[in-house]
Amino acid sequence: MSDFPTDADTRRAPGFLSVFWLFCAISAVTIGGGYVMVPVIQRAVERKRWLKEADFYDLFAMAQSIPGPLALNSATLTGWKIAGLPGFIAATLGILLPPFAAIILLASIISAAGDHPALRGFLDGAFAVVPGLVAALAFNVIRKRQWTVTRAVMTLAGAAALILAGTWAVPVFFGVVVVARLFEGVGR
Amino acid sequence: MIDLVLTFLKIGAAAYGGGWTIVGIIQTDVVGRGWLSPEAFTDLVAVAQVTPGPVALNAATLVGWRLYGLPGAIAATLSVVAVPLAAAVAISLLSKKALKSGGKLTEALKTGTLGLLAMTLWAFMPQAAASWRTAGLSLLAFGVSAFTKVNPLWVILGSGFLGMIARLVWG
Repeated sequence: MSDFPTDADTRRAPGFLSVFWLFCAISAVTIGGGYVMVPVIQRAVERKRWLKEADFYDLFAMAQSIPGPLALNSATLTGWKIAGLPGFIAATLGILLPPFAAIILLASIISAAGDHPALRGFLDGAFAVVPGLVAALAFNVIRKRQWTVTRAVMTLAGAAALILAGTWAVPVFFGVVVVARLFEGVGR
Repeated sequence: MIDLVLTFLKIGAAAYGGGWTIVGIIQTDVVGRGWLSPEAFTDLVAVAQVTPGPVALNAATLVGWRLYGLPGAIAATLSVVAVPLAAAVAISLLSKKALKSGGKLTEALKTGTLGLLAMTLWAFMPQAAASWRTAGLSLLAFGVSAFTKVNPLWVILGSGFLGMIARLVWG
């Protein structure tokens, strides 16, 4: 649908709409956040030969170094790489629109359904797993990290500071990162 | 509405390490300011989880929707992605070399991210520990996602259905 027959078979930049539709389709069918979505994006852009594998790994590393959901960052950086600013805008809209529409629809249905016991039970059950999933995520980061005494102390102190921070969490987060960066390499 | 925009701009700037880190900050801000009750917020997180798209984005959209309807949903969504989008543009324009010195910064960000995860856990622990049923589901979810490669979506949906059955059978 995106490959119009052209006179030369060069790797020209894909158009706005083909980038938009690709990310829109990925975003609409992928539930479960970044770690599910990123491999799907990778396979799709490689199959369309818009991007080489090594280039995608570079983009993925960049996506992790800036704030924001990994799925969004991987998509916008990929869009920029394959089609410049139009690709960036197309990828952003493609990723954002399907969940936006789905969530408004779902929220309306839920407020209309009110407190039906089956729905109530489902929401309670779906929410109950949140601390477990977050703990599992932290567990995996902790298990894979290379620990030093400094890193352990910094992490415990940072966690305590953030728990106490309340609505100041964002500035405290950056404070923790700056302090941890300064102490990195000390006491190895 | 301006408070909503500023709050989500701020939250978007600290959104390192994936969606779950941010959900804790959203909870502290939104519930702490009295915009939503803790119960309303847990419902909202449950819905955000089972909708396609990044959970933090979905949560932001829903908070905006609950507070100001459609304009609020649009404003919250755009605010939370504004800083990440600007960062993506900046990093695309800069050379890749700027990142290669990232080793120490990456470790420092990991420290901060673990802190945010601790904060999220702290914020949601009381509600999960409120009954044996929810505490059991949470422990089960931890076991499955820490030691197997099962997609978290199945954990969330499975727990939702267990919750539904439990509610219909035992009330």
